Parts: sequence; structure tokens; C-alpha cells
Amino acid sequence: MGTVHARSLEPLPMAGPDFGALGEETELVEVEPETKQEILENKDVVVQHVHFDGLGRTKDDIIMYEISDVFKAKNLIDVMRKSHEARERLLRLGIFRQVDVLIDTCQGDDALPNGLDVTFEVTELRRLTGSYNTMVGNNEGSMVLGLKFPNLFGRAEKVTFQFSYGTKETSYGLSFFKPRPGNFERNFSVNVYKVTGQFPWSSLRETDRGVSTEFNFPVWKTNHTLKWEGVWRELGCLARTASFSVREESGHSLKSSLSHAMVIDSRNSSILPKRGALLKINQELAGYTGGDVSFLKEDFEFQLNKQLLWDSVISTSVWGGMLVPIGDKPSSIADRFYLGGPTSVRGFSMYSIGPQSEGDYLGGEAYWAGGVHLYTPLPFRPGRGGFGDLFRTHFFLNAGNLCNLNYGDGPRAHLQRLAECIRWSYGAGIVLRLGNIARLELNYCFPMGVQAGDRICDGVQFGAGIRFL
Amino acid sequence: MCNLPIRVICRANAEYMSPSGKVPFIHVGNQVVSELGPIVQFVKAKGHSLSDGLDEVQKAEMKAYMELVNNMLLTAELYLQWCDDVTVEEITHPRYGSPYPWPLNRILSYQKQWEVRRKMKAIGWAGKTLEQVLEDVDQCCQALSQRLGTQPYFFNKQPTELDALVFGHLFTILTTQLITDELSEKVKNYSNLTAFCRRIEQQYFEGHDKDSCTVSVQSSKKSSLLK
Repeated sequence: MGTVHARSLEPLPMAGPDFGALGEETELVEVEPETKQEILENKDVVVQHVHFDGLGRTKDDIIMYEISDVFKAKNLIDVMRKSHEARERLLRLGIFRQVDVLIDTCQGDDALPNGLDVTFEVTELRRLTGSYNTMVGNNEGSMVLGLKFPNLFGRAEKVTFQFSYGTKETSYGLSFFKPRPGNFERNFSVNVYKVTGQFPWSSLRETDRGVSTEFNFPVWKTNHTLKWEGVWRELGCLARTASFSVREESGHSLKSSLSHAMVIDSRNSSILPKRGALLKINQELAGYTGGDVSFLKEDFEFQLNKQLLWDSVISTSVWGGMLVPIGDKPSSIADRFYLGGPTSVRGFSMYSIGPQSEGDYLGGEAYWAGGVHLYTPLPFRPGRGGFGDLFRTHFFLNAGNLCNLNYGDGPRAHLQRLAECIRWSYGAGIVLRLGNIARLELNYCFPMGVQAGDRICDGVQFGAGIRFL
Repeated sequence: MCNLPIRVICRANAEYMSPSGKVPFIHVGNQVVSELGPIVQFVKAKGHSLSDGLDEVQKAEMKAYMELVNNMLLTAELYLQWCDDVTVEEITHPRYGSPYPWPLNRILSYQKQWEVRRKMKAIGWAGKTLEQVLEDVDQCCQALSQRLGTQPYFFNKQPTELDALVFGHLFTILTTQLITDELSEKVKNYSNLTAFCRRIEQQYFEGHDKDSCTVSVQSSKKSSLLK
């Protein structure tokens, strides 16, 4: 890359190889390095060509959208930055295993003196990847088979199929995802699935077979999702001792709903964030596109984090939701909200707050929950800089309420109902962060405000999950 | 017939509410008991029974006749509803799927049809034609008619579980509208059976000012025998 110019080259002395006599009319050959030092940031460059090595089935047009910015770079640092961003965008498409960037001066006839060539060397993912695991847990063993077709037609479409065959239940899911070329944030996906769930707190077993399509698109700083979902739900009792209110809900129903969700997320991480805020608002309207379940459901989640002295973070979060059945049919147990447990109001058993019948929790049509947390590093900071950073101690105060509303009364009566008999709890514990997705908690809780019928878990409570209050 | 206070409620998901998957079932206190046999035993454990007055031989005979009714009449009813193509298309599918929206009504009735046909194949009725089934019904009715004779009930003057079961089936056969009336004609051939049904209807249902929503397998058209 660099050139070495010999500035002056005096002819060698004619005397033979007689180097014994030094200092005698000999002149040394001088080889000097390039003396002009250029400050690279200020040098104007022009990106003349962008090459791609290793494209197979990927179509050209989606690549061009992702790298179009590289051509706009004006100086060398800019080229490096834009190439890095283009590399990130190419990796985000999920169709390449590896992307390497090479920046070089332009060679060839039409090369400008400040022209640069950028080369992206990519390795595409294989056409089909699969995985096979067995899972054991909850008195059930199952085989899980997963298949993935990344980049099916060349424009980053992705088809995934997952099938789980277990001793008690089988479930499957097939999903097709297509991003819009040039704008990965806008995408749509179609899913077909069957999932089964067992809810021992309500003695309920639910099997859902459904189809859903969703569109994601960003609007300014927010992310919106529009989704239509059609689900055939089959509810059954988990045990012969299920209460009659749960037994009454058994049977089949069809839910066809449109939902819209908006997310604004400015946190630096979704697990144990240090700063930023999250606002999620979700609406669902069921019944106007078919089906026999009809309701309007609103749900919101808000979280605010702020860093304090000495690496501690204070975090507040508020959740709330309301379900309004439309028409004269009462709401179904599968649509109602549940509250309580290690991931929501700590100190109470899983989903064991609110209306219940003979020990089975029926859920409620309106709820709110709030929490204030203080996260600090472990005392005496063991393992600092490594493993110890995954742990945090945390002190919390949680509160919430869940009830059914009589929609004949006015909003004032509703607020009053939600404000009386509040369940709350406080305590402390340790949080372990698992990657960027999940966290484990071990807390010592003191539940308060316990109403008749709630099941509590005072003392040590363990929780694992993705979404915590 | 035991004079116990009951309330009959018709629900679309009754079949799924039942712990064993079959109707009828009763909900007493916080206990749920389904199917005739267990219900009879449950009621007996509480001290009410219709067959206390029978001796051992008669009880065995009653059990035998109840088995006959279950094997013959019940299976014939299921056959006619689910295996006879014309009836299935015109009557059974719309009726079974009526509480559900499309496409669930189609899916559920096809699922039930497949299940019933599989059961028919297992007991060997899949190969029978409609005529053979009607023949079997005729023979069953003949046996019942002979046993009934001129008595008001099957065993002396008091109704027993057998009377309740036979009434339930015959009343349904006589009052459900199907494509053809062949099945109900077979029963009407035996006048003492129709008289028996009428007598029980008058005594226990119209006498108590109830509507004739009988506790039967499918919700049937409400109509009286006295036409």
C-alpha cells in the first residue's frame, strides 16, 4: 500500500569492492520514506465500486438497498463507518453467516486518484438448517424438531417449522417471514400453529390451533404491529376436581381478532436496563371478523429506569389492562387477565390473585400492577469484571389489584373497585441475568394486603422468565 | 321419577363439560356425575332407588334389557344420525354445528362423524345397510313389547330404571324429525310401546308443568306425542 521513493541515488563508487577504506570518497545511498504525511480524515475520497463476493441465491436488489449508503461517504473515516453499518445491516437480514469488508484503492483505467473500492466478502447460510432436541420437564418428555429455511427465494424470506411431539401433547408451528427490501423494519409474517398449555392454577387445559398474520412497521420513533389472528380454542379441565365454574367454560370456541401494538423502547438493554424507558400499548378487538368471542381488550406496560450513584439503578414499572366484553356473552377464562407470581406481584403464588372458585383462579377483567425496584451490585462486589457482573441485588416493592368490573357502573365506581383491597408486597433478592433474554430471581418476600382466596408464597420465592414487573 | 327436585339446563358445550365426555350429567353440590349408570348409583347411595322392590332375578333381567336397549337402540340412533349420508348432510351437520361459527361448525361435526364411524367399524356395524339396522330396531322393539305386554310398566306397577331408559330412547325416536319416518314407524308398529310412552309423558312431564326438554343425547325438536 505505501510506496517508498528513493530520493537521491548517487552512483556507486567505481572503485572495486574495497570497502576497507571507509570515508574515502564514498557516498551513501539514501533511502527515505514518503515524507508527505496526509491526515486521512480530511482527505476526500470517492467510493467508485462496491464488489460482492460470494452471493449465490440472494437477489441483487435487496443487497443494493443495504449498501447504498456506502456510496455517499465523503472521507475515509466515513467510508469505514458506513461500511461497518452496511455490514451490520447485511447481518441483520439473517441470510449471511459471515460478512467481511475490504477497503482498497481503485485500480484500473477509470480509477480516480482518490477512488476507493469496497469489497464485501459474504458467506451465505445453507438452504436448510435443522435441529433436533429432546426436552424433559413437568412430568412430560418430548422430542422437538426444528427446521429453518433462511433466504428462501433470495430476498431474505424465512420459513421456520417447529414440531414437538411429547408424551402428553403435541404442538407445531410454521411461520413465513418476509421483510420489505430496503427496509428491514417493515416486514410481515404468517404463522400457523397449534400450542397446548396447562394451567394448574385454574385447573384448565387449553389447546389453540390458529392462523395469524402480522405487519410490523416503524413510524418515527415507535414500532407498530398490526395483526389478525384466528384461533380455534379448546378448553378442558385438567383434573376431575376442577371447580364447576371452570368446567362450564370447557368446550370449543373460535376467536378472530384484530390487534394493534405500539412499542417505544429507549432502554439500553431489555434485561436489567440501566437507563431509558419502555412504553407498550396493545389493543385487541375480537368478534367483528367472525368467530363467536367478542371483546375489546386494552393492555399497557410502562417502565422507567434511572441510574443513581455507585452503579445502582432505580426502576419503576406500571402495568394495566381492561377487557370489555361486547354483546351479552360473558368473557371467557382464556381471555381474562391474571395477576400474581414471581414475574408479577411477588410474594403471591403464580396467578393466584383475584376471583376464584374452589381454589381455581378465574382471572379478572381489569387489573393494574406496579413495582419499584432498586438494583445494586452484589455486596463486596465478588467476581467483579466477570461473572459477578451478571448478578445484581434487588430491593422491591410491588402492588397490584385484579377484579371483575360491572360495566353498568360508571368509571368512578371502577376506579374505586380497583383501588380498594390492594395487594402489595416488599422484599429483597438476587437477580441473575441470562444472556440478553431472560433472568432468574431468588427473592425473600413479605406479602401484604392479602385478601381471602389469594394464595401466597411468603418467604423464599424463585422466578425465571422474560417479562418481570 | 324419584320425585327429586331437578332443573334441566341445555348448554351447547354440555358434551365437553361432562367428565366422561357423555351426556347426561348431573351437578349436585360440588359433585358432577355423568351417564345413566353412575347417576343411578349416586342417587341410590343417597337413599333413592326405583328398583328396591325387585328381587335378584328381576334385577338381572332389568340389567339385561337395559343392555339390549343400549346396544341396539342407541347404536341404531347413532348409525342413523352419523352413517346415513342423506341424514348426515341435511339434519345432523347443521344441528351439531349450529352453536358454532363457520368454520368451526364444519370442523367439529366432521370430527364427531369420524369418531362415530370409527366406533361403528369397531363394533361391526359399519357394513350394515339401513334396512338391516331397521330390522334390528324392529327386533329390539318386539322384545320390549313382549316384555311389556299389557302392564303399565316393565316390572309390575312401579316404574324402574328400565322404564326411564326405554322412555328416553323411544320418545326421542318418535319425536325427532328425520328425513324419513321409517325409524319411528317401526316403533309405532307396537302400540303398547307408544301407549307406554304417552303414559309416562303425561304422568311425569306434563303433570309437573315442565316443558318437554328431555335429557337426551342431542337437543331434539320439542314436540309432543299427542299430535
